[in-house]
Amino acid sequence: MTRADWILIVVTLALLPLLYATLWQRGGLGDQVEIWAAGQPTKILSLDQDRTVHVHGALGDSVIKIQHGKARFVSSPCSGKICIHSGWQSHSGELAACVPNRVSIEILGGKRKYDSINF
Amino acid sequence: MKTLIATREDYLIAWLAALAVTIHIAESALPTPLPGVKPGLANVVTIAVLMRFGWRTAVWVGLLRVLAGSLLLGTFLSPTFVLSASGAVASLAVLGLAIHLPGRGFGPLGYSLLAAMSHMAAQFGAAYALFIPHPALLHLLPVLMTAAVLFGIVNGIIVRSLLKHLPQGH
Repeated sequence: MTRADWILIVVTLALLPLLYATLWQRGGLGDQVEIWAAGQPTKILSLDQDRTVHVHGALGDSVIKIQHGKARFVSSPCSGKICIHSGWQSHSGELAACVPNRVSIEILGGKRKYDSINF
Repeated sequence: MKTLIATREDYLIAWLAALAVTIHIAESALPTPLPGVKPGLANVVTIAVLMRFGWRTAVWVGLLRVLAGSLLLGTFLSPTFVLSASGAVASLAVLGLAIHLPGRGFGPLGYSLLAAMSHMAAQFGAAYALFIPHPALLHLLPVLMTAAVLFGIVNGIIVRSLLKHLPQGH
């Protein structure tokens, strides 16, 4: 092992936790929910207003409920129901997705590290 | 009439690339816990070649491995190929810079770690830019990078012991 090897390994191991810290930090409470369908953001709704929305997806309608500053899937025409089991989402950056139906929701607002990134 | 004559170096590259392709294909049969995470054992060949025969040969072996490997696995020009190719190009470019480090420079471990990390970074960048441009994908990056660092170090150790047992070439 050369000295350069040691330096590289030490620097790498020191930076790795930093990567977790920056990309895994939880945002604050969000104030809006963005609904995606067919790979496109279709609408942004406020989390302050309780309501239930029907979103047309690839398989049928997904039902999303917004209540007390949180949002969740309540029904979706998929087989896994992972979206529903994801439960309530309230923190900025959190999301729930029904991949078969191509519908997803993401919480926006609050303290966020980024709102969009492009390369 | 012009004829193509295979030089000694051509044979060398062909043999080494064949070895790398074999490892690449054997590895593709392994189940992975997460898409994008694999040991990258074929990189052991690239690093060993870099240290024994230089960067130019390593570039040939690395690129031929991705090309021939994808043709044999049937992934040529598919997303898998694009990711694999961008990773290979990036890691070879970084290695090309790293060999110019003054002093004793890097050993097999350093090269392997650098290659693994740049491979992962480029692959991730390509996946994000071309296929899934969703910010949520960024949550995967720390895990993927951890795997890259881990496998980079392990592969480096393998290269080191491999070079000890190989007779000095050239």
